[in-house]
Amino acid sequence: MSADRSDAPASPVAARTGTVAVLSLAIAVVLGDSGVVTLALPEILRDFGAGVGGVAWVLIAFNLVLALVAVPAARLSVREDPAVTTAGGVIGFAAATIVCAAAPSLGVLIAARAVQAVGGAVVIVGCLELLVAAIGDERAGVGRWAAAGVAGAALGPVAGGLLTWAFSWRAIFVAQIPVVLLTLPAAMTLRGRVRRRHPDLDISPDRPHVLANLALALLSAALTAALFLLVLLLVDGWDRSPAVAAAAVTAVPVAALLAGRVFRGVRAGTRSEAIAGSVLIAGGLTGLALLPGAKLGWTLAPQVLIGLGLGLSVDSLTAAALRDRNPRALHGGWTIAARHAGVVVGLAILTPIFTADLRHAETPAKEAIASLVLDAPLPASTKLELAGQLENRLAAERGRVPDLRPAFRTLRVPATQAPAAAALERGLEDQLTRAATGAFRTAFLVAAGLALLALGPALALRDRSH
Amino acid sequence: MRRLALPLIAVLLVAAVLGVQVAAGGGHYVPRRPANPCTARPAAPIPAQLDPLAEQIVLLGLDSAACRLGISRERLVLSLADTRTLDPRAPAALKAGLRDAVDRLAREGRLPKVSQLLPEALGQANLPGIAKTILEAIPASVIDNVLPTAPLLRRSIDELDINRLLHELNDPRRLNSAIRSAILKAALHQILDRLRP
Repeated sequence: MSADRSDAPASPVAARTGTVAVLSLAIAVVLGDSGVVTLALPEILRDFGAGVGGVAWVLIAFNLVLALVAVPAARLSVREDPAVTTAGGVIGFAAATIVCAAAPSLGVLIAARAVQAVGGAVVIVGCLELLVAAIGDERAGVGRWAAAGVAGAALGPVAGGLLTWAFSWRAIFVAQIPVVLLTLPAAMTLRGRVRRRHPDLDISPDRPHVLANLALALLSAALTAALFLLVLLLVDGWDRSPAVAAAAVTAVPVAALLAGRVFRGVRAGTRSEAIAGSVLIAGGLTGLALLPGAKLGWTLAPQVLIGLGLGLSVDSLTAAALRDRNPRALHGGWTIAARHAGVVVGLAILTPIFTADLRHAETPAKEAIASLVLDAPLPASTKLELAGQLENRLAAERGRVPDLRPAFRTLRVPATQAPAAAALERGLEDQLTRAATGAFRTAFLVAAGLALLALGPALALRDRSH
Repeated sequence: MRRLALPLIAVLLVAAVLGVQVAAGGGHYVPRRPANPCTARPAAPIPAQLDPLAEQIVLLGLDSAACRLGISRERLVLSLADTRTLDPRAPAALKAGLRDAVDRLAREGRLPKVSQLLPEALGQANLPGIAKTILEAIPASVIDNVLPTAPLLRRSIDELDINRLLHELNDPRRLNSAIRSAILKAALHQILDRLRP
């Protein structure tokens, strides 16, 4: 066996439960950070006056560094006492989070996010060992570690959206600081509890589980689309507030949490769960590409499919990647690296696709607007005035979904024409929403393709029931 | 069997969701596509007023001009906003399109008589009171005989300087003044033609 554990927990039950809860919370917060700023991106974009491509780096930097650092951090956790490395990681993470909260520019924010990821990687892999030690059972510890990660990844965007709505995007980082600092005493209570039994494993560790990690990477790339693109569609494309978007995307974490309860009773095995999860995620993303309207209700069923797929596949694949492989922390590191490399690849593939599609959507949107204005039952002079105003709005917000309301606010029409003007405004908003929804279609379909690619490694997995 | 159960349930769930979405129009939620400008649109009735008549002629004229240029009406309208990148054939196509519009309305018998439009035109015109009184005293039959609507409009279109109009699209006052001046000139020429032996 591995470089670890004196598996029998020594602490009293209540204290142990508290420690497990705090460690799980730290894992959820750090992995939730992967997508926590997703709903805040439009506000960050406005605050720093950056483009979508630049702001996407607030997400990319964290995930890229986490992917690169996870395995070295795991090696550190194998060599040193994970309680000490975790405490060090928490301090680094908290310090970087303070800088994120106070970032004066986009560059500083991105740099601080990268440092945050370094601390986060050390915390995540350290917590794997600490959880197993605290619970005293390897399978239960690994299960708790994977489940906390799934919950964090799924709930991160929702929490970020609510904090942005209630306060500002900076509150996302402020709120994390006390939560992760709680991990310090919890980790230190486990100091010396994780013992190295087989130092030679440090020299010749088990090979990483390529199939499970590859499937995790592909599904993570696809899930990025589910959260990142959907949130952008709701906030930027459909002009919903971050709070409404946050409430809407809770369907994913709720379904993810339910998936275990609903489907685990079948005890179908890792392979079946991974296959079913991939199919559900691909189906949900295809559903988002084929929305029949811009009502939030239409996004719910696809989100539920995605959530069920997430809950079914990610912790199952994580458990498969760790099962019977040593050192455990190192393989935990590999799963984190695979998942976040997947997120980065997903963002790298999907961001250019939907930003290009958003640009290409300008012409059909403008033509639809011109068509509605020409055919509106308004006097020619009003149409000419409105056309000028609309042209200004479209030029001012090139590359983004424009807000046409100011053009109508300055329009002076007699009371008899007000209903026609209001109907025209609604019609134009509808055309813009249609164009924006269409601009996300290809990206959702590509993401669905990534989830389907995960079927390859999933099919090749050896089946083992829980 | 147990191994197949989950993938099977997943496929069924996905099929159900996608089936409902496609049945509700999923995939067809796209912006309104421009109509073919070469296909005649159903024309709305035109009240005997200057503005609705002018608007109808312009709308039909845009369709005809766009058809001549092989682009949509909407693309033509959007291109008019920037005269620097405008297709050099556009002004001629617009003039021809406006003439086509008058021809179509004349063919369909939908052009109002000039006598019906005259009171409104006089109300807007900056003429001395005595001139207005004299013009109002002319019997409608005489006016319609001397100034039949379709030839008057065709002549007015010929008088229009389209390039100048395109530069004045953002200035409704100058645009109106240019159009009014073209109609007045056309009316004078037409009256003079009728008076010639």
